[in-house]
Amino acid sequence: MLKTSFHRGIAIPGLEHSVRSLFEIELPSSRHGHRLLSSSSSVCGKAVPRKKPKENIEINGLEKITYAERMHYVPVLAKPIFPPWKPNHKDPLHHRSSSHEEMPLYKDKSCHVFHQRTKLTEGVKQSLWLTKSRLVKGIPAQIMALADDPSNQIENQDERVQNAIKHARFWDTTERRPERERFCPTLLNSLIYMCRLQQGKHPGLGQRLLSQDYSLSASWHRGENHIQVRGKNGMLLSSMSPLPAIAERDEVQATADTELETFYPISPTIDLQCINVYDVKTATGFSEGYRYPHGHTLFFAHLLDGHHEELRAKMVMFAFGNALARARALYGAEPQVLEKPVVLQSVGTNGRLFQFMVFQLNTTDLASDDGVKNLVWIDEDQPLYEFAKVRPLIKKKVVEVPAGLAGYNPDTFKKFLAFYLHGAV
Amino acid sequence: MAVSALTRALRAVSLTGGSCKQVFSKVSCYGGMVPEISRLSSASFLPAVNTSVCQWRGFLTSSHLEQNRTLWKQREKYTIRPIGMKKTGGRDWTGKIRTHGIGGGHKQRHRIIDFQRLRYEAGKDEKPFEERVLEVRYDPCRSADIALVAGGNRKRWIIATENMEAGDLVKSSGVIGRMAVAAKEGDAHPLGALPVGTLINNLELYPGKGAQVIRAAGTSGVLLRKVSGTAIVQLPSKHQIQVSETCVATVGRVSNIDHNKRIIGKAGRNRWLGIRPSSGLWQRKGGWAGRKIKPLPPMKSYVNKPSLASQT
Repeated sequence: MLKTSFHRGIAIPGLEHSVRSLFEIELPSSRHGHRLLSSSSSVCGKAVPRKKPKENIEINGLEKITYAERMHYVPVLAKPIFPPWKPNHKDPLHHRSSSHEEMPLYKDKSCHVFHQRTKLTEGVKQSLWLTKSRLVKGIPAQIMALADDPSNQIENQDERVQNAIKHARFWDTTERRPERERFCPTLLNSLIYMCRLQQGKHPGLGQRLLSQDYSLSASWHRGENHIQVRGKNGMLLSSMSPLPAIAERDEVQATADTELETFYPISPTIDLQCINVYDVKTATGFSEGYRYPHGHTLFFAHLLDGHHEELRAKMVMFAFGNALARARALYGAEPQVLEKPVVLQSVGTNGRLFQFMVFQLNTTDLASDDGVKNLVWIDEDQPLYEFAKVRPLIKKKVVEVPAGLAGYNPDTFKKFLAFYLHGAV
Repeated sequence: MAVSALTRALRAVSLTGGSCKQVFSKVSCYGGMVPEISRLSSASFLPAVNTSVCQWRGFLTSSHLEQNRTLWKQREKYTIRPIGMKKTGGRDWTGKIRTHGIGGGHKQRHRIIDFQRLRYEAGKDEKPFEERVLEVRYDPCRSADIALVAGGNRKRWIIATENMEAGDLVKSSGVIGRMAVAAKEGDAHPLGALPVGTLINNLELYPGKGAQVIRAAGTSGVLLRKVSGTAIVQLPSKHQIQVSETCVATVGRVSNIDHNKRIIGKAGRNRWLGIRPSSGLWQRKGGWAGRKIKPLPPMKSYVNKPSLASQT
């Protein structure tokens, strides 16, 4: 009679229409619920405008008399509205989470959270304000001395590093060219492995452990804002003994005179995730009896081409988070100027360019803008090599860049090695 | 007759016990349940007999099918992230062409533009504020360029004006002082605060509703005069309108001023823009065609005066 979706031969004639009409539920989307009783309108696809559902008007103080008690429809009485059924068992497939206000960790004051997906608009300047730090360009002299010392070099250092680069950039795949997600971590791991092999020369290197995928949490207040650093950061090389302080007490006291740079009209908490459901905790990510409690170096693999400013800002924030968690574990949660500053190094790379950073936490008194500041040394954009091309770059039949590794820079690996050896030499 | 059959079915009571399974069919979004035909009959390819008609609750035909067509524009929260769009091809909800000549073209992502320039940040005071322009870029969905501005804790997209560059500071203010403000290009002020004769764009018709006119590339309106709480503006089409003086407008011309001087060059470029060729049938043009020289229509007023009933 109506449109047939599927037809099955039915013997009993009495039931024929009823059953067939049950199966003829092929309802076109816009005409759902409307029965087109004339064949012509159903054939030409006439769209009937849908009636708006009746609004439920509730008047305070007036109780609706419904037919709920009578258990059947009565035309005069109102339609009962029953409370939604809540099962008393837990079913993860049909779980509905409660609103933010009902969650146990809900707080009225919001908190700004930095995690590994955050991209700060103002980059390093914003991270310096958030961590109350002062920037010094270049690597500190102690580490440069380690880099320049020839006795710290590995045998055939240049050749081995170049082999590692070639392995990561050319030989690591059956396809033409490995992608950044593959060659960047491979190169980083190869370089760290080469540094670890120096344990024969410097036995202190044995008191180190590399760990990754640990969850850091650090929380502090900057003025009225509550800021947290959370989540997985990068690979952490931790050691049994802490790193020595880079800047002496005089230099640390001198930072008290400098001012933090602000960037009106942008607020320093822009791009941080603002949430009301959070847990206030500061934890290094490792439990109490961990044998390598002092963080030494954080390694970051940056899988994007470009955006180095965001990588540097991320390095500063996570280094600060780790240092703050360590300081609170050692010296308590009271905001204070630290007698023995906590030092943490950080190396970030995108496979070719290396960013070196040293963070010295001098104070945990971060609420006010004046006073002793923390110190950050950054060495930006150090290329390990210029080109690693699978196919040569030819312009107008002249080879501009040959295939293979070109423009190797030995200084960058010397700095990398110095960063690794610092504290154990 | 079908209706009576349906009602008969709905009132059916179970004749036998349990062999009938009630299964949610693939049309289960309707909320109705269809009994499965007994397995014996379907296995033997005999004409399937529904020997037992089970009891079920009536069809609930109240919920409608979820259509995915316009869900991409139902987002409530503002974001600067570009959103994937679904092209309609000029078709409306019935599926037929409503507007000819639309279809195909390069894929576009929609960036939600904040046309209400004087939108104060949540939790902040309602005072004039400044924002910094982070980048000015091409928008595939409109002729003008758009600018990403950041101020306080939020970022938003606005229509860029002619000489806007990354790093500029633009001010948005809702204050009407006694003296007219020295209008700087890119700033947004209410019409009552701007000097007569300034070029404006992104003009609101109703205060607080968001810019509705003068948004296309290279356009600008002129503030003609200010009269007792209203302002008269000449639009780019030379029409004149009267709006409340608290309506906010941006100063300057809209960006991408050479948009009208571009040459399409080839049919393919029009197809990239999503414009399909018009019908090739030659049709005699009627009275609507040709140049018309008419006087301007009377000035349209968007100021809501209090009704007579409220005055008495």
